[in-house]
Amino acid sequence: MWKRVFKFFIFLYAPILVLSLLFFYLQKNNQIEQLTQIQERAAIQKKNLVVDLFSGIIHDINYWSNLNYPKNFDPNETHSRMMGPYMDLIEGTRDYDQFRYLDMEGKEFFRVEQLGRETIISDTLQDKSQREYVKAGLNLRPGDVYLSQIDLNKEFGVIEKPYKPVIRAVAPIFDIDGKKFGVVVINFKMNRILDQLKSSLINDNFYLLDSDSNIIATNTLEENLPSARIVLEGLDSLSIAKLPRKQFKIAQDTSFLHNKSLWTISHLDLNRQHSMVSPYSYDLLNIKTPTQWIIAMQIPEKDMFENLFPIYTGLLVFNFFAIINLFVIIYLVQRRRLQRAEFYKELETKNKRLAFKRNKLQEQNILISDINRRLEVRNNQLSEFNYVVSHNLKAPVTSMSVIVNMLKNEKEPGERTNLLLKLEKVSKSILDLTDDISEYISILDNKKIAVKNVDVNLVIEKVKHEFTETLLDNSNFNVIVKTDDWNQVSFSKFYLQSIIQNLMSNAIKYKRKDTNSFIHFETAYEDNKKVMYIRDNGLGIDLEKHGENLFGLYKRFHRNVSGKGMGLFLVKSQLEALDALISVKSEENIGTTFKITF
Amino acid sequence: MEKSNILLVDDDEIYLYLMEKSIQKLTDDLVVNSFTDGAQAIDFISDQVQKGRELPEIILLDINMPFLDGWGFLAEFKKLKPKLEQHINIYMISSSSREEDIKRAKSFEELTGYMIKPLKEDELTEIFKKAYNDSW
Repeated sequence: MWKRVFKFFIFLYAPILVLSLLFFYLQKNNQIEQLTQIQERAAIQKKNLVVDLFSGIIHDINYWSNLNYPKNFDPNETHSRMMGPYMDLIEGTRDYDQFRYLDMEGKEFFRVEQLGRETIISDTLQDKSQREYVKAGLNLRPGDVYLSQIDLNKEFGVIEKPYKPVIRAVAPIFDIDGKKFGVVVINFKMNRILDQLKSSLINDNFYLLDSDSNIIATNTLEENLPSARIVLEGLDSLSIAKLPRKQFKIAQDTSFLHNKSLWTISHLDLNRQHSMVSPYSYDLLNIKTPTQWIIAMQIPEKDMFENLFPIYTGLLVFNFFAIINLFVIIYLVQRRRLQRAEFYKELETKNKRLAFKRNKLQEQNILISDINRRLEVRNNQLSEFNYVVSHNLKAPVTSMSVIVNMLKNEKEPGERTNLLLKLEKVSKSILDLTDDISEYISILDNKKIAVKNVDVNLVIEKVKHEFTETLLDNSNFNVIVKTDDWNQVSFSKFYLQSIIQNLMSNAIKYKRKDTNSFIHFETAYEDNKKVMYIRDNGLGIDLEKHGENLFGLYKRFHRNVSGKGMGLFLVKSQLEALDALISVKSEENIGTTFKITF
Repeated sequence: MEKSNILLVDDDEIYLYLMEKSIQKLTDDLVVNSFTDGAQAIDFISDQVQKGRELPEIILLDINMPFLDGWGFLAEFKKLKPKLEQHINIYMISSSSREEDIKRAKSFEELTGYMIKPLKEDELTEIFKKAYNDSW
């Protein structure tokens, strides 16, 4: 049964599993799609935020670039007075780390630093001509603004500690004649901006990267550590290795799955993207950068799993219940099927048993009806016997007592002799009767009868020789035997002989004188029973008149023919004693046919 | 007055002898005719009818007889009856007290009575009284 249950289970569960997986896949995709949309919106928001933040920097540098600088501008000496209010401005802007003017050779000629809360005009001026931002800045034309990489600040070639991420905004400066005489460089402190960028309402990981996929800022680290070119302490190298650097090289904004994380990358183009909320506009400026910043949003594997968890759970729960339900249902169905099969089997055996019993009952019925028939026959025999005894015995006995009475009263010798003769006659008839009765009783008591297979032909042949009429060739009485259907019957040989003797004797006694007489024995089967027809062409008898008496005791129907009326009575008794039956058909002057049914 | 006729039909010759004796004891006025079977009795009656002779007033009939028994006699008598001008008292006299026989006897309206053998003297007297009324 279990094998069958499992087979059915697999058969039914497979499509359910496939469907559920398909549904799961679609749902998962849909969920990822939704997450992607959310992430894309978040990326755009971030980008807008970056643009907003950068627009302040651009505005500032542009402001300094557009000042009307005098000829031979010297902020330290000649024009220090003029710089007074501007110094206040520099001092008031907390994001400025350094404010410098560089000449066309790339050498600083004015430098303001913010050290802690103080703003100091530094007298240690440096030659920055080799720095990339200086080289790029000196090539700027009017309307150009250069934004450097966001980098950790270096002083005299050494990274300043604590780490100070900065961006350098560079713009050309011109005197009143419009002659370019140098560049203004502002180091903006990026911590505030980057922290602002990192703060987010959603849990996604946020990365700000440069075009070389160096992480500038990420909310996965507390510190802002731009430039991975520098090996930094405490930075999990693995988390960097996991970044999908290849995809970051793609110029287009895109979303993709990488190592089970959902990523959205968005490229920042300051020339094309303009802030919507910033009060400053730099539409007319040409922003130059050595790199292209990339904003990357990541839902890490763990969060992705959490996001998809309900779907996974749904799939599992659904399948779990599907399995249990299917299993239970199949089990129940199978059990019921088995039970039904068993029930049918039981029913069948019961039916068989019933049929068997019925057959047995039928057999018994047949047996009983057979016994019943025999009992009926026996009953009739007994009642016949009773009648014979009471009737045939009563008459002579009565006569006897009457005669004896008369004898007592009779004095005359002649009459007495007469009465004695009568008495003798009566006593003889009583003796005859008792002889007949004892013969009849011996027939009724069939226990003594030996039954065996008897050859009918032999019996007939033997009986035939007992009659002179059949022995003599010239007699006109023929015995014809036709035993094609059967010639053996289980019966008493002695009875059969006696029966055939009686019937043949009758046929001879009651033959018609005017014709060639015959007796014809024929065997046949009727209703699966052996029957024998004994036909003659003798005088026949009016059965309407005598029918019921034909087989009676002491019945005689033909005058002038010897016989005491015992023959057919014995025939019938002998047949019935062995459960055979006899019937008769007869027509006067045509013949008689007896039918014996064994 | 002519002597009355009585017909005895029984195959028991001793019985016939004894009956004749009993009747003779009772009266000399009766002529007794005896037959040992029904066939002879019927033959006698039809012969009497044919010849226009007198018929018996009483027939005492046995049941069991060869050739034609009591029932057979009654059946044949039924056929003759339309030709008869007088009533005949037929008594079935049998040693059989079987219910079956008594019942069957009742179905014959030709029968006057059914009596069990042997007939006693007073029974015989009763039969005669009934048949001959006042003249007995």
